Amino acid sequence: MPAGGYFGQAFVVDVTDGAAATLPLPDRVLRAYLGGAGLGTWLLHRLGPPGADPLSPSAVLAFVFSPLVGTPLTTSAKFAVVAKSPLTGLLTDALASSQFAIAGKLTGHDAIVITGRAEKQSVLLIDGDGARLIDAAELTGMAASDADRKLRDQLGRGWRVAAIGPAGERGVRYATISHDGRHAGRGGLGAVMGAKNLKAIAVRAATKVNSADPAQVLAAARDLRERSFGPATAKYRELGTLANLLAFNAISALPTRNFQSATFDGAGRLGATQSSQAAQGSRPGQASQAARGGHATEAATPATPATPADLAEMRRVARSSCASCTIGCEHIYRVGGGKKARVEYENVFALGPMCGVAEPGAVLAASARCDDLGLDTISAGGTIAWAMECAERGLIDAPWLRFGDPGALLRALDEIGTMSTPLGELLAQGSRAASRTVGGASAAFAPHVKGLEMPGYEPRTLHAMALGLAVNARGADHNRSGAYEADLSGDLDRTDGGAAHVTAAIETEDRAAVMDSMILCKFLRGVFTDPFAEWAALLSAVTGWDMTGAELRRTARRIVIAKRVYNLREGWQPADDWLPDRLLAEPLTLASGRQARLTPARLRAMIDGYYKERGLDPAGRPVAENNHDLYFA
Amino acid sequence: MLAGGRSSRMGTPKAALEWHGSTLLYRTAAIVTRATGGPVVVVRASGQELPELPKDVTVVDDPREGKGPVQGIAAGLAALAGRADAAFVTSTDLPFLHPAFVVAVLRALEDGPDVALPVARGYQQPLAAAYRTSLAGLAAGLVSDERLRPAFLFQECSVTRLDDAALLADPVLKERDPDLDSVLNVNTPGEYQAARQRQAPEVTVQLFGALAKAGRPGGPRQVRAATAQGAADAAGLRFDRHVTAALNGDQITRDPATPLAQGDTVFFMSADAGG
Repeated sequence: MPAGGYFGQAFVVDVTDGAAATLPLPDRVLRAYLGGAGLGTWLLHRLGPPGADPLSPSAVLAFVFSPLVGTPLTTSAKFAVVAKSPLTGLLTDALASSQFAIAGKLTGHDAIVITGRAEKQSVLLIDGDGARLIDAAELTGMAASDADRKLRDQLGRGWRVAAIGPAGERGVRYATISHDGRHAGRGGLGAVMGAKNLKAIAVRAATKVNSADPAQVLAAARDLRERSFGPATAKYRELGTLANLLAFNAISALPTRNFQSATFDGAGRLGATQSSQAAQGSRPGQASQAARGGHATEAATPATPATPADLAEMRRVARSSCASCTIGCEHIYRVGGGKKARVEYENVFALGPMCGVAEPGAVLAASARCDDLGLDTISAGGTIAWAMECAERGLIDAPWLRFGDPGALLRALDEIGTMSTPLGELLAQGSRAASRTVGGASAAFAPHVKGLEMPGYEPRTLHAMALGLAVNARGADHNRSGAYEADLSGDLDRTDGGAAHVTAAIETEDRAAVMDSMILCKFLRGVFTDPFAEWAALLSAVTGWDMTGAELRRTARRIVIAKRVYNLREGWQPADDWLPDRLLAEPLTLASGRQARLTPARLRAMIDGYYKERGLDPAGRPVAENNHDLYFA
Repeated sequence: MLAGGRSSRMGTPKAALEWHGSTLLYRTAAIVTRATGGPVVVVRASGQELPELPKDVTVVDDPREGKGPVQGIAAGLAALAGRADAAFVTSTDLPFLHPAFVVAVLRALEDGPDVALPVARGYQQPLAAAYRTSLAGLAAGLVSDERLRPAFLFQECSVTRLDDAALLADPVLKERDPDLDSVLNVNTPGEYQAARQRQAPEVTVQLFGALAKAGRPGGPRQVRAATAQGAADAAGLRFDRHVTAALNGDQITRDPATPLAQGDTVFFMSADAGG
């Protein structure tokens, strides 16, 4: 076992009968996959039965920690939840930050792996005494945040909870897992947990974890903390990710009305600006007591959404941060009725412009409703936007479901989260499955890749990102592929995708693979000037390994390929690496008057280039002889 | 771009003359790059020293010096063979050249002629005109025959002449360059001084996200700036690696020397775009 950072074992619990066992994690595997998304991929290979239904008892749900958890390094209190997605049928790995990461790791394990299905809805408890199940009847139907609070009150000091909402209980295929108000959001992990009859998992620390060189780690933590206050994180610190919205609108990169446009005439009402900032300059920790409680949204859906002129009027009353984070990207807005909500770009994009909704109160109410139900906002917004277009085209009999109608948005969310109507049941499957049911032309404008709804980055005006979205293992995803960085860097022409875009997409994918496995928040990425070498130094101080930047680059490649190998095993097809037809057929007009177009031939050429640079075969399949270092045997 | 002239009336190489923070050569090359997306080729006299050029601009030597503009046109069009069907041909001394002018002239080739020749402000403008690159051989032949004036070339191919009205039928050009200053060249020290005394283009600047702060409003507001750096300076913004600029909602740049033209809009954004 490494000198620090690890326990060298995973805890495997079968909730069918509560039986638990430890799985030794060899040093070579830990070094090869680090932790988080990387180690989760290896665990899924090792423990997940090939071809298993993601909602079946045999499916694996892994909570995977990292070597940096428990250190004083900023943004290190993160973990990955990894499973086969019920939305895509492929690997999904969602990262989140909270005290759950620290308490979970300090149960004495580098990962907690859950299999089986409990006889009745239960809570899984894990601490120094092992694993046990308790009845969850009193929590059934509760919002995850309410279940979290109630459970912690019941269990007492030291317990940390990850819970699902009603959507996860009912099997909505984009249900989330929540903890301390944060969400493992994408790919339907809440449904996987719900299918195991688990309302919640509670963990309590039982031990400590060492670093190989504590003095070096402390020095690095101080340095990184100072850097986290610099200009590279200013956007997150001062405005949060919502700062993207107005900028993306200005450059025609804001998906609107189900990708029918890339600018939104209501964007001005939804953007974040400094002008009315109430808490400018505050550091994390100066948040209000209410915000510090760690609940993503403390509001119940207001009976009547507030109707201020713009979101800036609901500007934050406080700023908060994840556990162990000094950036503080969380910006808290007033929802109405004295309630507050955390606001990020992706939820405002998905529930605002994507659905044509410009009323700030309605967008925040919809976001709060997603949190209460336990729904991924991106998939919820994308699927509803698709349904709105279907309704307008007469493909779905729901005349009330119209772009721009706040009431329709909230009603659709309720029907999905509760699966209380045929339409709700249809949309709970996600846009890909729903389009297969609806048929007609609806598949051409279903906004997904591999079944995962698209985030708020317009591929036609961001060609590196177009490639990243097409080839990523998780599907349409902006966290595992940050290729938009290249598009927005000014270093290449964002509407003329080619070889440079391929190289850039691979570079950002590699960086994400390491950051998501070691784990550090990607909002820190701008503070590193030589990232792989600097990350290697951090890992060396924690683990005692003599890592180098070059080794970490190989690690990145390994993790990316391992995900692709897993997906291939589970039925991935070459045609899955592609974008929705709409994006390849309908050009956009930029503010300059120039047309932006992404042709099938251009996308094909970029994908082929990606396969070649990755060492894949021409169909995108990993070449077996190149994969000797995956350690699956 | 024909850079090989002798600049005899100016008395100093015109390509290196400064105008609002750029050399005339850099600015003209960058304006043409903005308008066309490239490729951009600079034709120079063999051994001629040139000031810095925008990235991706290539330089070719004129194999036959002293033969005038048709020879330069022939060399430039030949250098573009296989890479472009048409080219905007310009001299280096047009400080007010507007991208909209380049676009409007090139668009006139869509109707089929070999040359789109502006007749602006009362004069033919063969060095602010569009040519099919297939004319390279014809132009070279004319030079071989010592028929060195552009008029000889125009006699041998189809030419669309664009008078002021035809040019200003383009609504963007009419708005941004209503006097067709795009074709104002500087040949003498007096003309150069007059050009320098004109203000930099008026552009709109808007700061997004965390770049707008108390005392540094987001705008939009009007400033005078000939480059992205000038616009950042006017906005009180440090244009460093954490900042990018989008021109007219289109191309994004971190190049401080990016030229601005009248009526441009510059969006300054955080380079840290995650979320």
